[in-house]
Amino acid sequence: MPSWFTKVFKGGAGAAKPREAKPSLDEIMGGIDTSEDPEPVAPVQVEKKRRIINAPVVEFVGESAEPAADVRIKARIDSNSGSCVMLIDRPVLEGHSAWFSNAKSAAESPLAQALFAIDGVVSVLLHGYTITVTRHPAMHGDWTELAREIGNTVRAHMIEEKPVVTDAFLEGLPSQDAIEQKLQRVIEIEINPSIAAHSGAIALDRVEGNTVYIQMMGGCQGCAASDVTLRQGIYEAFRSAVPQIGAILDNTDHSAGKNPFYTQMPAGMR
Amino acid sequence: MPKLNTFDVTIKTGERGPGAAPKWSINGFVVDFEQMKGSTAPGETFQGTASPGSFPHTLLIRGPESGAWDIEETRVTYYPSGEQPYTVRLGAVTLDDDADLNIWYERPQKVFDV
Repeated sequence: MPSWFTKVFKGGAGAAKPREAKPSLDEIMGGIDTSEDPEPVAPVQVEKKRRIINAPVVEFVGESAEPAADVRIKARIDSNSGSCVMLIDRPVLEGHSAWFSNAKSAAESPLAQALFAIDGVVSVLLHGYTITVTRHPAMHGDWTELAREIGNTVRAHMIEEKPVVTDAFLEGLPSQDAIEQKLQRVIEIEINPSIAAHSGAIALDRVEGNTVYIQMMGGCQGCAASDVTLRQGIYEAFRSAVPQIGAILDNTDHSAGKNPFYTQMPAGMR
Repeated sequence: MPKLNTFDVTIKTGERGPGAAPKWSINGFVVDFEQMKGSTAPGETFQGTASPGSFPHTLLIRGPESGAWDIEETRVTYYPSGEQPYTVRLGAVTLDDDADLNIWYERPQKVFDV
């Protein structure tokens, strides 16, 4: 069965019509009597801008619902990044976020230390109502057992009301302004020049506490590889410049991307 | 984002409908459905299959050429590469000649209590 690509670019049966063919200027002018008009103006066809409607999702076959526990924790597996997001029914860390790449870096977080004690846990991100745990890449298959162990550890920690991070951790965080300045420099000098070849660019949207929000633009907006760019490029560059930053969140509306992979830099970004 | 091999769509039309076979678009390119059954006339149900064979950034049902199209319900079953198919059912919406319906929904991630 031919794909849409074959149809669009090779003109198969039922070939796609990206847009109606516009008449040439000669065709347009051929139908206009210009004998009495010294400066005729050719009409210009402008394609109507279209809106995208989102219908309410009535049913998603594949979702599951199970009963709650005392401290309600749900685990959501992100197979793309090899991580598990624990959704807690209460805030884990308010006003800030915390990211730990190994047990040594988690010295100021009793909760993260407890999670690193579980075999296979390689990184921990505490943010809002969530805890994101990444497991060792060599661990494949079902997350269920590891997720339950993580859930039990988090639940026990919360029931016993142990601190999530120490006061020293919070006192050691740089100011928002300092974070913004350093990241802005990384974006301008390191990141944007490297993704300009793909007509992409990123901008620092805002910093809240030590949580960073970014916007992806141009070829990055809507690009299938944007998640990889984020995880492998931007995360590393940001954390290398400011090790104390917590969550890095992509605020981009990727469904509104106009030209992912497009080779020409959009106006205003040159 | 998985590669989407094919998808099936079933559209139930309400009081107003164009009657003509709808089109779908992927990343801005408008394409005809295959294996079409039924119609988009008022009260009728349309079924079609499409073969993106690609990674959708936008996947839309194209609005009618003219007039309004009351869609009572849309059901889309996706067949991603190397994964089990999944289905999304969408509620009522009205399209017109400058409005398209978003039908791209990635599979909900597995969520369970721990």
